[in-house]
Amino acid sequence: MGVRVMGCGCGDCEEMMQPYMDKVLSDEQMREAQEHLEACPPCEKRYHFEESLRRYVRVAVDEPISAELQAKLAGLRSAD
Amino acid sequence: MSEGAPTAAETRRIAEEARDRVRFEEEALELSDQVFRVARRLVNSREEAEDLVQDTYARAFRSWQQYQPGTNLRAWLLRILTNLNIDKGRRQQRTPDLQPLEEGDYFLYNRLESTMPDENPDEERVIERLSQNSVVDALAEVPHDFRDVLVLVDIGEFSYAEAAQILDIPVGTVMSRLHRGRRILKQKLAEKTVSV
Repeated sequence: MGVRVMGCGCGDCEEMMQPYMDKVLSDEQMREAQEHLEACPPCEKRYHFEESLRRYVRVAVDEPISAELQAKLAGLRSAD
Repeated sequence: MSEGAPTAAETRRIAEEARDRVRFEEEALELSDQVFRVARRLVNSREEAEDLVQDTYARAFRSWQQYQPGTNLRAWLLRILTNLNIDKGRRQQRTPDLQPLEEGDYFLYNRLESTMPDENPDEERVIERLSQNSVVDALAEVPHDFRDVLVLVDIGEFSYAEAAQILDIPVGTVMSRLHRGRRILKQKLAEKTVSV
C-alpha cells in the first residue's frame, strides 16, 4: 500500500462512530456500521482508537477523594 | 399535631424515620468517592471540588426526605451538586455556545498518526502519545456546557437519560453536547500533543 490512509473517505462512517459506540443506533444502522467496519480497516482502526481513548481519558483524569474529606462528610451526618 | 404522650404508632413512625435517615446517610457516604471523582472534573481545582462536595452532602443530609428510595442516589446527589455549582455563579463565565472550529471525529487519530514514523501504527501506540497531563488540561479547557455532559457520561458513566435529569436538559441536548464536547476534547488534545 505505502499510502497513509486518512479514513476511508466515507463520511457516514465517521458520523456513525459516536452513536455506534454509545449503542444508540437502530438495529439496521448498527448492522450497516458493522459491515462497513469489517470492510474498512482504516475506519476500524479509528473506532478502536476511540474506544481506547475513552478508557484512557477516564483513567488519566481520575482523582480519588481524600480521607480528610471523607471524614468531614461523615461528620455532617445527623445521627450519633 | 398530637397532644401529650406519643402513641405507640407515632413512636414506631419516629423510630422508622430515624432508621431510614441513618440508612440514607450511610448509602450517600458510600458514594462520596464516586461523587468526588465527577465533581473534580466539573470544576477546575481540587479545593473547589472539595467545597462543592461538602456543600452537596450538607444539603443532601438536610433534604434527605426528598430522595425517593429505589431511585438512583448517585444521580440525585449529582443533581444537587450541579445545581450548587450553577448557584455559585459559574454560569457567569459561560463561554459562547459556538466554538470557532470543530474538527471531525477522526481528527485526533489522524493528527497523532501523522507524526509517527511507521506506517499504519498500532492504535495503542498512537494513544501512548498522549500524556496524562495533556488529557487533564485538555478536559479542563472544554467549555462548561459541553464538559458537564462529557464528565457525567464518559467519566461518571451515567446514561444519557440520567445526565439529562441531572442537568435538567432534554436528552437530545445531552447527545448533541456530548458529541461536540468529545470533538472539542480531541481537538484540544491534538493541539497539546502535536505542535505543527
